Amino acid sequence: MAAGAASPAPAAGRTVRLATLVAASLALAGCLALGPSLPEDPRHELTAVPFFPQTIHQCGPAALATMLGASGLDFTPEALAPLVYIPGKRGSLQVEMLAAARGKGRIAYVLEPDFSRLQAELAAGNPVLVLQDLGALGIRRWHFAVVIGYDPDRDVVILRSGTERRHLERRDQFLHTWQAGRRWAAVVTPPGQPPATATGAGFIRALAAAERSLPASAIDQAHVAALTRWPTEPLVLLAGGNHAYASQRLPEAIARYRALLAEEPDNVAGRNNLANALLDAGCTQAALAEAMKADARVQAGSPLEAPVRDTLAKVRSVADAAAGAPARDLAIDPGSVCAAE
Amino acid sequence: MDFRQFTVAVTAACFLSLGLHTTASASVIGTQQYLSAEARAGHLATIDAALSRADVQAELVSLGVDPADAVSRAAALSDAELAQVAAQLDTLPAGGDGLFALVGVVFIVLLILELTGVIDIFKKL
Repeated sequence: MAAGAASPAPAAGRTVRLATLVAASLALAGCLALGPSLPEDPRHELTAVPFFPQTIHQCGPAALATMLGASGLDFTPEALAPLVYIPGKRGSLQVEMLAAARGKGRIAYVLEPDFSRLQAELAAGNPVLVLQDLGALGIRRWHFAVVIGYDPDRDVVILRSGTERRHLERRDQFLHTWQAGRRWAAVVTPPGQPPATATGAGFIRALAAAERSLPASAIDQAHVAALTRWPTEPLVLLAGGNHAYASQRLPEAIARYRALLAEEPDNVAGRNNLANALLDAGCTQAALAEAMKADARVQAGSPLEAPVRDTLAKVRSVADAAAGAPARDLAIDPGSVCAAE
Repeated sequence: MDFRQFTVAVTAACFLSLGLHTTASASVIGTQQYLSAEARAGHLATIDAALSRADVQAELVSLGVDPADAVSRAAALSDAELAQVAAQLDTLPAGGDGLFALVGVVFIVLLILELTGVIDIFKKL
């Protein structure tokens, strides 16, 4: 019995060694599948995120279709390819993925490069677009995939990736492939729902980049959401004030700019814009006071210098004209709007 | 000027004109304007946006992107994104593969092992 089992040993040994080598090279490639043994678990993964299997080199359009689909917009990878695919590079750029999501009326937000941020977005129901390097032996193979879950018990990351609806990777393995692209990750959300891990300033930057392709109602919702979540963040207040001013809501604009200046008295842009809003509201004296403060604080050579000098000149000319004329009736009661507090 | 060039010119003109009426008044500082002033104060790379946009558009076309798509794609990038793409399009990661990395790597590993005599799978084929 023992002798019978011993005779095919060299062949079996070689097969085992070969299998080990193949497994090792699979692991090297970052593609070692954990098998279908892990059932879908809504506690750990966003099971409703759609899946679009990629065709050759087209992981960009497929991942983008997945992200947009999860945010409520139906697009096929084929429809998105003309927006993000570059034939000569046989792939898609990160910035074009973001730009295309914005073009479809969404906010694209790049996360801080940390796994905990990714987990926080998943917990808030947002799938996360990631860039991985699936290459090995010094050969880069960039790949976009969508993280839909993380199972802390098994320490496994769950992705919609390539042609696999549920691709499972051990976390350390995922982190390794994610590291090469500087842990780049992004979420795509409706404008009225800022990402879970967003900062106020970061959200305003993302909104400013998207504003051109958003309808007015969506921009309104984005500002309302930002002001609700970050009521004292200076950039949120400036942007909210500017939006109210552009929408002809002068009392609101004045209130936002004043709230900003309460946080940051030296904010020249806020001071300058407050002067403009006050002038339009008929509060000439208050406007003159603010315009002079902005003029005194603006740095020479700053890109803000020209608009600040313009504002002062404009307010002065109105004030001079008003000095020689009788007081006029104002549409807005100056008592409540003009008073500094 | 053929029809395609005409379409590109009209599309480009439309996108350029979009940028002209963003603020109601020259003396009000818009949010975009404030952000770019902030970036400049932070010594971040400043660029001639219009020039970079034309560069990126031409590069996309040379990489096989449809000329009309290239106009709208270059227009869709923010100034900061544009600066990045214009400066380093050659070296930026372009996510595309994933499927074929695996096959290629396995083959290379096996080939190296075969050549160094560690394994012996091709000889008998």
